[in-house]
Amino acid sequence: MSFLAPLAFAFAATIPVVIVFYLLKRRRVVRLVSSTLLWQKFLADTQANAPFQKLRHNWLLILQILLLLLAILALARPYLSGDKRDGALLVVVLDASASMQSTDESPNRFEKARAEATALVAGMKDHDQMVILQAADQTSVKQSPTSEKAALRRALTEAAPADSPTRLVEALKLAETLIKNRANSEIHLFSDGAVPDLSEFENKDLPVVYHRVGVRGNNVGVVALDVRANPEDASQRAVFASLANHSTNLVSAEAQLLFNDRVLETRPLALEPRSTAPQIFLAAQTETGVFTVRLKVTDDLAADNHASIVSLLPRPVKVHLVTRGNRFLERALRSVPNVELTTGVNLLEPGREHDAVVLDDVDPVTWPEPNVLAIHVASTNWFDVTGVAPVPAIVDWKGTHPLLRYCSFDNVQIAESTAIKRPSWAVSLVEGSQTPLIVAGELARQRIVWVGFDTLQSTWPLRVSFPIFIANAVEWLNPQAANSAQLTVRAGDPFRLSLPEVMAQAEITLPGGEVKTMNLATNAREVVFAETARLGVYRLKAGPVQSVFCVNLMDTAESDTTPREELKLGKFATVEATTVRRANAELWRWLAAGALIVLMFEWWYYHRRTV
Amino acid sequence: MANGILTPQLLRQLEQLQLLARRKSRSSAKGERRSRARGQSVEFADHRNYAHGDDFRYLDWSLYGRLDRLFVKLYEEERELPVTIFLDASESMSFGEPRKFDFARQVAAAIGYVALCGFDRVSVLPFPENPAELAVRSALRSVRGRKSSMPYFQNLSQVTASGSANLNEALRRGALQSRQAGVAVILSDFLDPAGYEEGITALMGRGFQIDAIQILAPEELSPRSFGDLRLVDAETGLMTEVTFGRYRMQAYQQMVGNFRQKLAEHCAARGVSFFSVSSDTSLEQLLLRRLKEAEVWA
Repeated sequence: MSFLAPLAFAFAATIPVVIVFYLLKRRRVVRLVSSTLLWQKFLADTQANAPFQKLRHNWLLILQILLLLLAILALARPYLSGDKRDGALLVVVLDASASMQSTDESPNRFEKARAEATALVAGMKDHDQMVILQAADQTSVKQSPTSEKAALRRALTEAAPADSPTRLVEALKLAETLIKNRANSEIHLFSDGAVPDLSEFENKDLPVVYHRVGVRGNNVGVVALDVRANPEDASQRAVFASLANHSTNLVSAEAQLLFNDRVLETRPLALEPRSTAPQIFLAAQTETGVFTVRLKVTDDLAADNHASIVSLLPRPVKVHLVTRGNRFLERALRSVPNVELTTGVNLLEPGREHDAVVLDDVDPVTWPEPNVLAIHVASTNWFDVTGVAPVPAIVDWKGTHPLLRYCSFDNVQIAESTAIKRPSWAVSLVEGSQTPLIVAGELARQRIVWVGFDTLQSTWPLRVSFPIFIANAVEWLNPQAANSAQLTVRAGDPFRLSLPEVMAQAEITLPGGEVKTMNLATNAREVVFAETARLGVYRLKAGPVQSVFCVNLMDTAESDTTPREELKLGKFATVEATTVRRANAELWRWLAAGALIVLMFEWWYYHRRTV
Repeated sequence: MANGILTPQLLRQLEQLQLLARRKSRSSAKGERRSRARGQSVEFADHRNYAHGDDFRYLDWSLYGRLDRLFVKLYEEERELPVTIFLDASESMSFGEPRKFDFARQVAAAIGYVALCGFDRVSVLPFPENPAELAVRSALRSVRGRKSSMPYFQNLSQVTASGSANLNEALRRGALQSRQAGVAVILSDFLDPAGYEEGITALMGRGFQIDAIQILAPEELSPRSFGDLRLVDAETGLMTEVTFGRYRMQAYQQMVGNFRQKLAEHCAARGVSFFSVSSDTSLEQLLLRRLKEAEVWA
């Protein structure tokens, strides 16, 4: 045991003072009695008249000296050297993600974590330093390294949970840089463990102490939402929702579909334990608006019980085909539903009135500005052409890309292909033996699909995959589809919207009704809005441009609120939840409490003697 | 009978009582008690030979007829019973609520009244000496006859308690001064540092039949002063410093109990009737029940 304030032992000088008080004779009340004969046994003192008396065995004196000793010890602030060494740096990472709003702890997990972190602050020694990081969609430093407990408590009080998923990797990276080259340092993570992959830290040997909060995972949530044209009836829209039940019980819920806050359909559901149930709602749509799926269920986390998506009113896709004649291609394009096809032999203007332009082996006079499907023709801006690859064999293709959905390139032969070096902006969809055969990507806001060979010089148009690919390409190149995908962002992600002209200001109405005005950078033809921590529907207004976008949680990891006993750092490393509760290192409170008890006992003893 | 000491009801009840003497009276004065002396009464005692000058009225003629000798019939002489009351009038007796001395005077009055009604002689010996009350005290030295009971009560009520007593000395002197032994009643708190043993022995040696009545105040039995105290002895002026609290009450009462027990054992061993009473005991309870049961009177 050591002492923080050993100077307080100077107060020990008070002990002789107390003893002197006991040496002095007490003033007694004089009582006349008939005879002192009966009192012989109770004789207290010698009858000497000296001001001092012999010090005799007296419990009161012993109690008072004990009381003084305890008080002096408390003032000297002793502490037990525990497992935390001198001058340690503690990095507190407070998970402030959506799942921390679960109410299985009282009042919620975040408050519990805050209370535990506050207890950790109380247990700090004087030379210890602490940093407080709040990890949500972005990591914020709530308090830089300090030993000042008041500042740390204030920082903890100011922390608040967000509706966003956890980006724990960023927070741990920051913590790692903070503890670098510090001998005594610990990272205290207060979380429920609902975090994405942490394999980056597999071999870092981070001194992480994982304080788990949360007792159960009773949560149902919307984890995915999409809206498409109904493939069977083009006049209708199909809303796909993925509803996940993360609890271990069968949950009865009610799913509601709303369009612009108007209830369209209510559907009772029974969700199997720990499973995901896809739901498809069909609804007619007459105007652009917001579809919302709302779950009516009692669970621990309310943030993921609703999700919204913007659905633009479908309109025909205007496709312009520039070709010297390709019946396969033309038929394939015409068979795509909802397409207005125009054809031409060459392109003299940028063709802004079209949604997409298909160049079929025609070098245009003017390169199109809209999205483009270029077959056996390439702009020199796109990539370097290295030569010609004769009879390229198809080695591999990316079946997961939306462009190649349901496409197979088995049994497709090609006479020859332009050989290129794959540019950085594009991904290679179909890989030949020497060169990429089909690449797709976005360059300067223009979506480009490039096919390196003449389709008429291959067997591809004879295969089923050809019209499917064309249909996929029209869908992918349709700017409307791209737009509606942009109109849904995950909590914490920035929202981007390109503007037709330069504007100075944009107004954004938040879900709560609050209006924010942003000044846009000069020459910027884009709005970037990053304050999307709150879930709901946002409305943006910049000059004549009006847009609606939705912020959703839609994160399986966050919706699964089951508290994790251990955090996996990659395949092998894990951090187990600690059960160690740090006791207050300092002992003075206990000593002061002991002194108080002794004081009370002394009071009782004295009164027992005299009353 | 209007007096400040005893109620008329109690006096009426006391009139029914008579002091019981275990021994025959040795007094020389005439009374109503049987004695060893021969004299005139209705109680036959013995015969003796006629001597010249004897009263013919006491000749036993029937015996003369049978034996042809003259005998005189002797009768027991009835004598008085001297009752000596040792009344502790020291300062310590003036304590208590009600005062111990008041209680002691009432008991003295009651015993004296019973004795006077039985034609016995009553002497009250208050101790210690108090020159200021010489007249009153000498009037109480020897009281006889029922008609003297009024002045007896009056004189008794004028005695006050003051000064420091020596119980042994008072009893011894009383034993020496009395001409005939009789019944001795000691009314005291027996709280004398010098003890009481010698005094009682002196009375026993003189042939007294002793009744000892210890009177203690309720405060002495369970004190009500607590804390750090400096106790001043009312008689000796001796100071004693004590620290006393409720938690020591039991120890104190045990101490008082031991003191009474020791006194009671001393008395029992010498055939002395011993009573210990608190000054708040009802007088009737003591006089009509306890003393009667102990056959002090009947």
